Amino acid sequence: MTLSVAPRPLSLLCELTYRCNLQCPYCYNPRNLSAYRDELLDEQWQDVIHQAADLGVLQVHLSGGEPTLRPKTVLAAIESATQRGIYTNLITQGTFLDDELLDRYIAAGLDHVQISIQAPQTELADQIAGAHVHERKLQAIERVRSRNVALTLNCVLHRANHDLMPQVIELAERFGIRKLELANTQFYGWAFTNRSWLMPTLEQVRAGERIVAQAQERLRGRMEITYVLPDYYEDWPKPCMHGWGNAFMTVTPNGTVLPCPAAAAITTLRFENVREHPLSWIWTSSDSFTAYRGTDWMPEPCRSCERREIDFGGCRCQAFEVLGDAGLTDPACIKSSHHALMAQASHEKPPARFVPRRMTADRT
Amino acid sequence: MRRPCNAECSVNADALRYARGVRLHTEGDDVAWLLVPEGVLDLNASARAVLELVDGTRTVDDIAALLAQRYDAPIDELRTDVVSLCGSLRERGFLQ
Repeated sequence: MTLSVAPRPLSLLCELTYRCNLQCPYCYNPRNLSAYRDELLDEQWQDVIHQAADLGVLQVHLSGGEPTLRPKTVLAAIESATQRGIYTNLITQGTFLDDELLDRYIAAGLDHVQISIQAPQTELADQIAGAHVHERKLQAIERVRSRNVALTLNCVLHRANHDLMPQVIELAERFGIRKLELANTQFYGWAFTNRSWLMPTLEQVRAGERIVAQAQERLRGRMEITYVLPDYYEDWPKPCMHGWGNAFMTVTPNGTVLPCPAAAAITTLRFENVREHPLSWIWTSSDSFTAYRGTDWMPEPCRSCERREIDFGGCRCQAFEVLGDAGLTDPACIKSSHHALMAQASHEKPPARFVPRRMTADRT
Repeated sequence: MRRPCNAECSVNADALRYARGVRLHTEGDDVAWLLVPEGVLDLNASARAVLELVDGTRTVDDIAALLAQRYDAPIDELRTDVVSLCGSLRERGFLQ
């Protein structure tokens, strides 16, 4: 597949701020958070959304950091997106989502809320989050659930909470959740730093598959449960972003535009900024978006692989994080000559403590 | 990998409606998407024809009858297609 014409972007992730009141060790945000303090203004975000709509984007995801730390920006973004017929999704940890704010967002056209919890029990959840927030999150879940807006409950899985999947499912049942995501940590940014603390064991992952299969059967038609495996235990890489520069883009708090939310880690590419260039040029023609678009960039074994348009060579960011070269086959692929590194990483002895995600950590 | 719709998730009797957070997006005659939580489903022409008739009052039989009339096609075949599509969308929580 040679792409002479850029495909249509369908989805835009707006990371409104990297500030967050939690310190979860599995955060995929970049490690140098303080480099993004110069945040776009509300009207700049609105302009980004209008430019994205002109390009054909159909869905806008509002995330961060914690997006509701910029409550008015979230509202302005929902308003602009709704004006253009775009579907809006708020990805939040919920600790600031009070009645008034939620009602304003829904009135402005918010379509869907994703709330994440750290664990099914207060003590462990608060320990992972680094703050006493679990009870407030449960209140936010109830608030969203009882209103006319769609809700997905998410729990990021790792070694410390993986055994509690049945309790997470129970909690979701108790709240009448229709859509539950049990997604293993993706190892980027802070999560890559904390990889050996977070990595579940193979036994945990296999048990998780059985637990989910049983729950899916039991709850069919009532709750949809998605279980995402860590790709360190898989034979084939994930079809990351459905191809680089193919359907998704991310705008970070300071206006940098990325083909993947984790791409800022790739120091060998220069990523453009919406303050300096139109979004359409960045999407269509910039070096960073064209670098790995299509299949022409692929090395072997991807180039001649029958799966090259199924998984697109896997994840460029993972190739960079693990191998230092974003242009190599994702080491999660069994055909990669570096695949053994993944098994090796999954057997590292976990440290006693994790590095909490902090905005100031990179300045010390 | 999804099982075909069985008796337990029968879509026969009830009026079909979109679940919260699910809506149809069309552009001209050729382009249609189902916008769902955290995803976009590309719809072919026949899926679009069915989903455009989902309005909270019509049942599978109503929709099959309307399509049979529109395309001058046998209702039983259409009904099978409508049940299969709506059954899988309902199982995924996109239709109620």
